[in-house]
Amino acid sequence: MPRIPLGDWVNDAVDWLLAHMGWLFDFLKTVFTGTYDGIAAVLQAPEPLLLAGIFAVLAFWLRGTTAGLLTFAGFAFIDSLELWDDAMVTLSLVLVATLIALVISVPVGIWAARSERVSGLVRPVLDFMQTLPAMIYLIPAILFFGTGASAGIVATLIFALAPGVRMTELGIRQVDKELVEAAEAFGTTPRDTLLRVQLPLALPTVMAGVNQVIMLGLSMAAIAGMVGTGGLGGRVNEAIGQLDVGLGSEAGVAIVILAIYLDRMTGALGTQVSPLGRRAAAKARAAQGLRIWSYRPRPQVAVVGIVILALVAGGMGMFGSKGDDTVPVADGKNVGQGEKVRIGYVPWDDGVASTFLWKEILEERGFQVEAKQLDAGPLYTSVASGNVDFMTGAWLPTTHEQYWKKYGDRLDDLGAWYDKTSLELSVPSYMKGVDSLDDLKGKASDFDGKITGIESSAGETALLKSKVLKAYGLDQEYKVVDSSTPAMLAELKRAYSQKEPIVVTLWSPHWAYNDYDLKKLKDPKDAWGSGDGIHTVARKGFAAKNPVVGKWLKDFKLDEKQLTSLEAEINKAGKGEQQDAVRTWLKSNPGVVDKLAPVAKSAAAPAEAKIPIDVAWFPWDEDIAVTHLWKNVLERRGYQLNLKQMDVGPVYTGLASGDLDLNFDAWLPYAQANYWEKSKDRLADLGTWYEPTSLEVAVPSYVKGIKTYEDLKGKADLFDGKIIGIEPGTGEMNLLKNKVLPGYGLDKEYDVVDGSTPAMLTELKRAYAKKQPVAVVLWSPHWAYSQYDLTKLKDGKKLFGEGNTIRTIANEKFPEQYPQLTKWIKGFHLSEGELGTLEGEINAHGQGHEDEAVDAWLKKHPDVVERMTPR
Amino acid sequence: MSSRLEAEHLYKVFGRRPSQAVERLRSGADREELRADGTTAAVIDASFTVDPGQIFVVMGLSGSGKSTLLRMLNGLLEPTAGQVRFDGQDLTALGARDLREVRARKISMVFQHFALFPHRSVLENAAYGLAVQGVAKADRVKRATEALELCGLAGWEKSWPDELSGGMQQRVGLARALATDADLLLMDESFSALDPLIRRDMQDQLLTLQQTLKKTIVFITHDLNEAMRLGDRIAVMRDGRIVQNGTAEDILVRPANDYVASFTKDVDRSKVLTASAVMDTDVRGDETDCGCAGDCESVTPDTPFAELCAVSARTTHPVAVLDDERKLVGVIPAQRLIGFLGEQDREAAHA
Repeated sequence: MPRIPLGDWVNDAVDWLLAHMGWLFDFLKTVFTGTYDGIAAVLQAPEPLLLAGIFAVLAFWLRGTTAGLLTFAGFAFIDSLELWDDAMVTLSLVLVATLIALVISVPVGIWAARSERVSGLVRPVLDFMQTLPAMIYLIPAILFFGTGASAGIVATLIFALAPGVRMTELGIRQVDKELVEAAEAFGTTPRDTLLRVQLPLALPTVMAGVNQVIMLGLSMAAIAGMVGTGGLGGRVNEAIGQLDVGLGSEAGVAIVILAIYLDRMTGALGTQVSPLGRRAAAKARAAQGLRIWSYRPRPQVAVVGIVILALVAGGMGMFGSKGDDTVPVADGKNVGQGEKVRIGYVPWDDGVASTFLWKEILEERGFQVEAKQLDAGPLYTSVASGNVDFMTGAWLPTTHEQYWKKYGDRLDDLGAWYDKTSLELSVPSYMKGVDSLDDLKGKASDFDGKITGIESSAGETALLKSKVLKAYGLDQEYKVVDSSTPAMLAELKRAYSQKEPIVVTLWSPHWAYNDYDLKKLKDPKDAWGSGDGIHTVARKGFAAKNPVVGKWLKDFKLDEKQLTSLEAEINKAGKGEQQDAVRTWLKSNPGVVDKLAPVAKSAAAPAEAKIPIDVAWFPWDEDIAVTHLWKNVLERRGYQLNLKQMDVGPVYTGLASGDLDLNFDAWLPYAQANYWEKSKDRLADLGTWYEPTSLEVAVPSYVKGIKTYEDLKGKADLFDGKIIGIEPGTGEMNLLKNKVLPGYGLDKEYDVVDGSTPAMLTELKRAYAKKQPVAVVLWSPHWAYSQYDLTKLKDGKKLFGEGNTIRTIANEKFPEQYPQLTKWIKGFHLSEGELGTLEGEINAHGQGHEDEAVDAWLKKHPDVVERMTPR
Repeated sequence: MSSRLEAEHLYKVFGRRPSQAVERLRSGADREELRADGTTAAVIDASFTVDPGQIFVVMGLSGSGKSTLLRMLNGLLEPTAGQVRFDGQDLTALGARDLREVRARKISMVFQHFALFPHRSVLENAAYGLAVQGVAKADRVKRATEALELCGLAGWEKSWPDELSGGMQQRVGLARALATDADLLLMDESFSALDPLIRRDMQDQLLTLQQTLKKTIVFITHDLNEAMRLGDRIAVMRDGRIVQNGTAEDILVRPANDYVASFTKDVDRSKVLTASAVMDTDVRGDETDCGCAGDCESVTPDTPFAELCAVSARTTHPVAVLDDERKLVGVIPAQRLIGFLGEQDREAAHA
């Protein structure tokens, strides 16, 4: 038989597709990720329990009270497992895949039902898609769509498409022929026959197909996790990789809950949407009478319930998101290190503006800031008693004189940040010839004899009435119309838009000067007196304890233009959106943050840090450790790392295609040689960070008398003739089968059992627990050596070759794109002790707390950050 | 009276190269030869005409091609060869769209298993044809309600098909066909799935309706009794061919061949036969020639067999058969009556 090079053809086809059809895949990717992002955003926005409530109402509507309660319990359970976000990722993935699968499969199914030829063509294609092992199309999926959601969707789609097509075809075909003939006999067009007779009657079967699509989609979720879709599938993979049965079953149970929910809901939906099903259900219900546990609300009630919950969820999502959309803080700028700062403010425009400006600045510098709105009296009290750290709205020396007198000795005045406050009367600049208070004289008729005032209780009003008007002899002519600040501003706005004469009581700084073209009337007689400065006042000792912040606050200055434009921005944004307004303002005033809160120049992140880095990692202990270590260290240097957990094959593919940037766990030149060889032209080797490693066969130390490979000879009975292997095709397995065993003459005696790393570890665990002899394929470093007492067999003939080293590999373009980082990585080394303690720390903190573990470890190894990333 | 529906040399062949098969049939090949080649000749050279207001029954055993023939009449199946003319219009020449139009407006159909849409109410089912025609809803409801009423289903409009008995379901089917006001009604073994009593009711109802509606009806059945009861004319089909086309009496009394004759054995002649079929036409001449003086009993040629027996029992003489003009057309001696009955009994004994 000649060798048919099918594999080569497939490779050629894939290359050709990559080269020529890239645009198509890009387009599909855009569609897939767009849909996915949309659905994921909707599902992840609301509070978990609220969304669980929405799901429960849906279940209540479709299936009754019991289903509603169980749904809520199930989803609440997922939330309590802290798997909510993962579950929503998986759910989004499945929903998108289902949606797309239906868009494709229903029309194809209809077509197949109407044409024998199409049916005959489609069937083998479906068989092919359904039975081809998922791993095989996962790799091309990465080539075409990159890692992440799109590849996961495509994989799920391919797998889940078949039942959709099949059930649609079956449903239509099993509609009574006589009915179709009847429709035709009455002159129905083919289209109407399809839409009015065949599809409605086929609907229950089609819905069963939808159900199957969803179920298969969910079952693919775990496999899709291998290409970095994350979600529950990612968790399952991670757990398998670390032999963490506990976490694996948690994620598994969450998948099952999702599956049962989706299954029951689509099943019920099938009854609801088909006219026949609806009628049967109604009949059954009528026969049963009203019962609480199977009571189902009418659709209207359910819709109202869902809308209400959705609105609440939407609202919560908006407010909730503000709480946690903290910007990642680059280490160099992370002065606060999460320290809490409390700012108090009086709801005056200047106080609000400066407070939220500082809130934003301090948050950008790594502080946790709480801003409290208080009345002037309580605010001074709070600062004095230490409940509030500082306030930026102290009008001194005049306005807040009384408070200062009372609490001054328990406060630190950090100086005035704005000293040109003034009280005044103002007119729009279109009022020609009115420039000073003197000019108002004799013009009362222009202004209707009115000065638009503010609150009668305000100090300014009192000053105006008692002193200013009299000083200029205006008290007979003008009447001050007392109202409120908002009313005054509204009146100003109205008059201004109509270009009517108006004179208002105002003060500086005020945003009105920013929004309108106003003239402050000159006060040559100095009747208003000299203005206050706006001071920052802190509790006693705050500045001394926080010298950096203290210095920032002491140096704090804003000019009138800055302040009024900031106030105007905040005013425009409205209540509750102050901080967003500050951010908007900061964007149009770049550099302010660095000017107000300067940090050491050297700490600024290099330019290359601006592009986030996609780092792929394997769920192997040394990779978890090193990846999280780099993440922690680099984030201190202002880099952003996206971590993606994946399998070895996809990682190499992703790195080669440029979809991924880095991987820290390349075992070269032997263990991963097969992957490296395939893609090495498009990869860059950034050097070894850990050595030596070794590949070996290991046996538990309770198996006496076996220390070397030679010792295995003649002991096949002991081990049942088996060496428990890992994934076939990996470098280590190839070496073992082709060189090591023949080299020691063991190949006749022993079979290497192909399997997977998790399976090998499980077998080791099982045998170890029972103290049975077992020989496993292993490598160092591996956590199994710390967990179990194992003997590495001595390789006297060095047939496993010199040890691999663990290297960092990257896409070939990486060194150009990240020269600084490349330099750091090339100089990076960890000792066995360091790696061991780091792994230990991570194990001690448990899954999901890797960041804290790395933090803790770095505290014990303070030199590492500087060593890894010297400035 | 001009014919309303004409079928001319209709052929329907299923399988590969149908036209070639038709050629072979025309040149004398028989059905079995074709079957050996994997082609099936369902209908072979069928020709007939149906007059307006007539019930034309096509009778045959299953596989005789009668349902295929029916479906060629409204274009559900395209004839391999031959023509169907309806009201002078050649249906075989029409395009799909025009054909649909004809089916929607002029020809309706009643099915063996009723073929009611299970997801539509009785009223919606009855109004289906009108909906296809695009009749406005109010009008549609009115006409469908009328049709249901006509079929004895007033008050059942809001029910669902599966809530009705078989007979009632077929009434809905009939109402659906009548609601469109089509001139031609195709009925495909429409009463075969019903039990005998209900079948009889339906036959009666169809005959009653036909008296007022005067539709042209092509009725398919495998039941000779039904064919005799309903048919103005009856075509007997065997193996795709029409072997005899005539009145009930023709079929019964003058079977075209043994097949038809064997078919008619089980028929209750006393219900089908009339004086004209039984009488001895050799005796010709005046009424007085009959040899009886004035007390001579006479009947018309249409008098049913059962009545003849009663009449014959009252007299010792043969019964005279007089036509509309009271001219003697035949006589029926009592022995002759007994002979016909005997024939039936003999057959019954054989059966």
